[in-house]
Amino acid sequence: MKKFLFLTTLFFSIALLSACKKDEEKATFGTFYLQFDNIVGDQDLTIADAASSDFKYTNSLDQNFNVSLLGYYITNIKLEGPNGEVFVDPVTTGAAAADVKGIYQVLESSTTSQTIGLSNVPSGKYDKVTFTLGIPADIVQEGATGGVLDPAEGAWLWNWDAGYIGFAFEGRSPASPVAASQWNPENSVQIHIGGWKDITDNPMMVNNVKTFTLDFGTSVSVSDKLEPKAHIEMDLLEVIDGHHGSADFTSTNQVHTPAGGTEFAENLHSAFVVDHVHQ
Amino acid sequence: MAPVIGATFSPFTMKKTLIISALALVSVVIGCKKDETDKGPSYEFRKPENFPEPTYTFDNNPVTEAGFKLGKKLFFDPILSVDNTVSCNNCHNQSLAFADLPLHAFSKGVMERQGIRNAPQLVNLAFMKEFFWDGGVTHLDFVPLNAIEAEFEMDEEIENVIAKLNNHAEYPALFKAAFGTDEINTPLMLHALSQFTNLMVSNNSPYDKYLRGEVVLTAQELEGLRLFEQKCQSCHSGILFTDESYRNNGIDSVFTDIGRARITSFSGDIGKFRVPSLRNVGITRPYMHNAKFATLEAVLDHYSDGIIESPSLDPSLENGIPMTAEEKAAIITFLKTLTDKDFTQDERFFKG
Ligand code: HEC
Ligand code: HEC
Repeated sequence: MKKFLFLTTLFFSIALLSACKKDEEKATFGTFYLQFDNIVGDQDLTIADAASSDFKYTNSLDQNFNVSLLGYYITNIKLEGPNGEVFVDPVTTGAAAADVKGIYQVLESSTTSQTIGLSNVPSGKYDKVTFTLGIPADIVQEGATGGVLDPAEGAWLWNWDAGYIGFAFEGRSPASPVAASQWNPENSVQIHIGGWKDITDNPMMVNNVKTFTLDFGTSVSVSDKLEPKAHIEMDLLEVIDGHHGSADFTSTNQVHTPAGGTEFAENLHSAFVVDHVHQ
Repeated sequence: MAPVIGATFSPFTMKKTLIISALALVSVVIGCKKDETDKGPSYEFRKPENFPEPTYTFDNNPVTEAGFKLGKKLFFDPILSVDNTVSCNNCHNQSLAFADLPLHAFSKGVMERQGIRNAPQLVNLAFMKEFFWDGGVTHLDFVPLNAIEAEFEMDEEIENVIAKLNNHAEYPALFKAAFGTDEINTPLMLHALSQFTNLMVSNNSPYDKYLRGEVVLTAQELEGLRLFEQKCQSCHSGILFTDESYRNNGIDSVFTDIGRARITSFSGDIGKFRVPSLRNVGITRPYMHNAKFATLEAVLDHYSDGIIESPSLDPSLENGIPMTAEEKAAIITFLKTLTDKDFTQDERFFKG
């Protein structure tokens, strides 16, 4: 009894002492990781030299190809849980790289870019993630931005139809008849998916920026001690060979306009799958 | 020149107002000194009262004196081109409202390479929704990237430009003064250029002064204005003299340059180009995206008698725009009242 009294007194004094920061103490935060792994059908995707003639992959038309560049922009990430948990990764833009937050360029050539750490996620359970693939109108219309959106730092910015390429794939295929030039190696395949404008009176004016939700199939917990990771697989074959349209490299090998990228943009959702989550 | 005393009414802080009043008093006492010498030119962006709201994101990039002057240095500096020979002002001359010389129907880039379109004037950019003849660029910040990277303009890679600026004797200090950073990057360079081009506001033509009740127009100019409202204003509308739509005004039936369709991939847009502003049109010849006409007389003859049929031709032009010779002459006299000498002679834009 005495011990109990002592403990309660102690508890209350602590509670009283810390009354003013009670809220912060209750709400704890943790980090949630999204890891992106790129594949081609049942093979792992690896980057070949731009001139390489080692064609590891095959599309449904039996055309061989390789990949010399592969990447995409991810932004507006949101986590949600079964009990109403919501975490929205804040997005900010600015001229300094440090001001640009919540916008990620995932590159096959950079291992660090493939893991996105979301900090300050409120403790709780989460069972799905939503994100935008590509750079949407509100970010483009902020004007020149730094960091991963700075063209001198490798951002994919179309200058003639200003906006960012949301998903880029480049490689070679013997099926592609493209001759070597200052822009392309021989047999070049380049599929750049961009275009963010919605112009209602123009049937061809396409917005290829896509937002989709992926279910984990289970829920994982975040706390100040628990840092779960969702392992997301992106299948390039789904993008260039999916059910909304597929690329015959003999004719479709240079895609550099919004309209040219529509079918592939439609394929993007099914290309991304949560393979598994680690608690 | 506005009377010196006018300076006391500028919306400055109390302290500044007091100082300026004192200065103004002194100047009044001294005699007729120009007010610019007293307070220096303003580098603040001001929306003329009768203009629409600006489209530019000034929240991200307000105009400051240091930023404007840095933008000016960049605008005049061939360092932005691959062989350090071509600067922005090669194709955009202030004396022509920042249009290109009549000699250069298609502007000339590095190594005398020929461009594909007639360089437009640069005015009232802060108010425009889209840029270029095809509207491909939707934010002023991104416009210079085209000029820098196009093979037939400056043909330079943006990484190289940034590297050249970072290694330059003067630029790092100027960027620091303008933006407070040690880092020179693409967005800051583009912000500086936008600060310079955003102040290119043209609203002091005789027509503007007429609207403000400061001057009167001649009977012929007024007749021209009336005819313009009747025959031209459906497209060249509003205070900016453009509705910013894309249309085919019948100058061609075969389009080597497909215009708006380049951006929309829509066949119905082949041959459509942005309706250009007609401000300063008296000094921006030749005319049209392809420099088809050398004079305003030729432009008006086109509208009355030269319209060429094609699938995307604007329906309102199918029968041309009937005009008599006197009516054309009156319209041209009116168009010349849109030439803004205060703008083409504004010292803030001088190379210095
Ligand atoms: C070689 C000539 C050339 C050079 C150099 C050049 N421009 Fe231009 N500029 C053009 C042409 C031609 C156009 C029209 C392009 C089009 O419509 O496709 C243009 C268009 C523009 C526009 C859009 C105007 C409008 O009404 O849409 C701006 C702004 C501009 N230029 C600014 C610049 C700046 C800033 C630089 C320097 C970085 C520059 N230009 C360098 C030729 C040039
Ligand atoms: C149906 C819409 C329309 C009407 C009506 C119209 N214009 Fe135009 N105008 C345009 C378009 C579009 C262009 C640009 C065409 C191009 O370059 O391909 C243009 C270009 C011009 C230019 C060239 C400007 C430059 O900087 O190159 C002049 C001058 C001009 N118009 C004057 C007139 C006058 C004067 C009238 C009335 C008699 C008129 N326009 C009526 C649509 C119109």
